[in-house]
Formats: sequence, structure tokens, C-alpha cells
Amino acid sequence: MKRAIQMIFLIVFNGLICGSLYAQNPQEIVRMTTQELFAAVDEDRQNLERNPAQLKQLTYNILLPKIDVTYSGRLVLGRNGRSLEPEQIERFSDRMSDMLIDRYADALLEFQTRDQIEILPMAPDGTDRMTKVRTRVRLNNGARTPVDYVFRNTEQGWKIFDVIVEGISYVTTFRNQIGEEVRAHGFEGMMQRLDDNMLVVDVTED
Amino acid sequence: MNTNSKKTGLFRSCLLATVAMVLGACATTAPPPELRDPADPWEPYNRNMYAFNRAIDKAVLIPVATGYEAVVPDPVEQGVTNFLNNIQSVPTILNLLLQGRPGDAGRAFERLFVNTIFGIGGIFDIATDGNIPYYEEDFGQTLAIWGWEDSRYFILPFLGPSTIRDSVGRPFETAGPIPLGQYGSFFWHDLTQERPALIGVDLIQRRANLLPFENQIEDAFDEYLFVRDAWLQRRNFQITGESDTPDYDSFLEEDY
Repeated sequence: MKRAIQMIFLIVFNGLICGSLYAQNPQEIVRMTTQELFAAVDEDRQNLERNPAQLKQLTYNILLPKIDVTYSGRLVLGRNGRSLEPEQIERFSDRMSDMLIDRYADALLEFQTRDQIEILPMAPDGTDRMTKVRTRVRLNNGARTPVDYVFRNTEQGWKIFDVIVEGISYVTTFRNQIGEEVRAHGFEGMMQRLDDNMLVVDVTED
Repeated sequence: MNTNSKKTGLFRSCLLATVAMVLGACATTAPPPELRDPADPWEPYNRNMYAFNRAIDKAVLIPVATGYEAVVPDPVEQGVTNFLNNIQSVPTILNLLLQGRPGDAGRAFERLFVNTIFGIGGIFDIATDGNIPYYEEDFGQTLAIWGWEDSRYFILPFLGPSTIRDSVGRPFETAGPIPLGQYGSFFWHDLTQERPALIGVDLIQRRANLLPFENQIEDAFDEYLFVRDAWLQRRNFQITGESDTPDYDSFLEEDY
């Protein structure tokens, strides 16, 4: 009797652990997030096509909790971030993730069906600290574009901090851009330019 | 006579724009040698050549490609892209063989065969619908597989981003299957006669396919760096078939 109770306890306990691990698995995060996004877009497609701002807000709400914004920002700033106040790093990271999510939202409407995204088996180079989820996105012209999401294990579970499209890493590419600009005009000068760029983008969209 | 003078007029204005751009670009300074990216030691030259190419791009290619895009219906554009990709299969098959990948070469041949015969000379991409994978291998990639892995960034006049390795590989593949026609290969024979037109269409269609990226290039802090970094990373991806995971830890630690 005692053994049976122990057994049941063990099974339930195991189930709990596996269940929670399953939910936090990076592949599962990518699968669930894309499903959530596509469902939200499909539900309201006509309205969203006419309202880019609303689409951006929707994408932002779904994606932001999955991204380690600050870590991403620190990687891009690199050495240039050392002498900065935490507030400045936050400000930069927020701006950067805004840009990334904006681009993502623009691309989102291009996809008509959700089976256009295929999630590949995990890359062998993953560790319990960092891992990469590889996906293939089938474009409407039949080409399959590789999109990889790089995850890091944080206290709040696995979070995305870089996106690699056709081998082009968002973090690496921005890092050199930002580095040059900070070297030439200082941190605040770089932020100013980032803000100006955003304004230009907003004007062309109206 | 009249068209000739029009042509010289266009040529002259392009040249003027180009010279202005190159002179303007000389003012922008590349970092001193010790701060340069190890993959790009010739940055000052490359920056000037980039500005030169970009001026031609803006003065000629972009307007033509935009006009082409506006006039030509999407299905036709798709057909042209398919046709060009199909021709590209020939050098791809040769390079797959040179890289010691006979299985992939076989699949690429299958793709060429299916699209040429059932896709009416390659206008329809039947193979993709049939889940036959698409390969794109050029001689620069073959040289990389053979051991020439790292090569410095080198912008070619008119032709754009490349490396020394890929520039060496270029004469072996840019002409693509077209020289094969001269050796009597059945299908390509007609293409030889149309070579200049074909190259023109190829150029315009490729440029049109890249137009969606124009926003990102324009938004970049430093266009030159953006194009260079993206191009080099993508090229590396084409060679290895796997995206490199950057060394993120070093991003936080490194002192340079």
C-alpha cells in the first residue's frame, strides 16, 4: 500500500516536472508563438492589413515576453556598453527590440498559411545555457528561407536574444553598425540618429 | 543617330553622377588599419568602389528594375526567375560533382530535367512542388570546400560584393551554361545567340528581386557596413549550409 502510494506520487511528480519542462522547451516556444501569431493575424487579417500600427502592437504583445531584450542590447553594444548607465542600456535595448518587432510585423502579413513554417530537429551544438531553434520558412515563390532563433536560459525560462536569417545574424549585423556610430558620435549621438531614423520610417508609412 | 546621341547623353549623366559620388565618398574615412575588420583589410578601396557601384545602381539599375517590376505582371516575373534559376542548375551540378556530392548532383539533375521537360524549358518550377530540393553552388563555394575558407572582402567594379576567392571563381561560372552551348549542347545552343539580351534580363530580374531590401539598406547607419556584414555572413551560410552561431560571449568581453 505504502509502495503504491509512493509509486503514484512518483508518477504524478514526474509528470509535473516533464510537463513544465515540455512547456519551456525552446522548440515548443517557437511552435506555440508562431501559432499564436498566425491565429491572431488570420482572425483579423483585413483590419490588420489596413492598420499597420495595430498589427505592430499585436506582434509586440505576443513577441516581447519571449525576448531577452536587455541581453540582446548588451551584445550589440558590447564594449561600448561598459561605461553606460543601466538606464541608457535599457533605453537602447527597448529601441532595438522595437525595430526588430517592426520588421517582423511587416513580414508577417506575407504568410498565408501556417504550414509554411517547418521546425527542424535541435542543433547538436546546444547547451543547457544556450541553444538554437532552426526553422525553414517557405516563401510564396517556393524558396525555403532558413530562420534560426537563438535562445538563452534565463531565470524566467528560455528567451530569444538573436534571430539569424539566411546566416545573417541580427545581433552581429547591428553590432558593427552601432559600434561605428558610437565611436564617431558617442552614445547619445547614436541614440539621436536611431530616433531620427524611426521618425523617417514612420513618415513614409503614413 | 538620334538614339546614339541619347545614349551618350545618358552615359554622360551617369558618369557625372558617378564621379560626384566617388569624390563624395573619398571624404568618408575608413577606420585605421588596426581597427579594421580582419575580413576587410582593403576597406578604403572597397568603400570607394561601393559608392561607385551604388551610384550606377541608383542612376540606372534601380529605375530600370522598378519600371520592369511595374510593367511586367508577377506571373511573368516568376516565370523569368524560374527560367534563370533553371539555367543556373547546370553550373550547380558541375560544382556539386567537384565538391564530391554526387547524390546532391543527381537531385539537382533531376530538378533540371523535370523543370526543363515538364516546366516548359524551366518557366514553371514543377520540381519545387514535387519537393525536389533547390541547390545553388558556384565555383567560389567549391574553392571554399577545397580549403580556401577565408578570403578577404573585395568589391568588384559593376559586379558588387565578392571576395578574392569568389572573384577567382567567377570567370568559371558567371557565364554559366552559356559557353556550353558553343560545344553543341542541344538546349543551350539558341541561348548563345541571345547572350547579351539574356544577361540583361538576368541582371534586371535579379535587381528587381532585391528591391524589397532597399528600405533596410537606406535605414542602415552605414550602408557599406550593413551590406558587407550581411553579404559575408550570407556567403558563409551558402558555403557551409548551416548558420554560424556567433561567439556571443566574446561580444561582451572583447577589448579591441
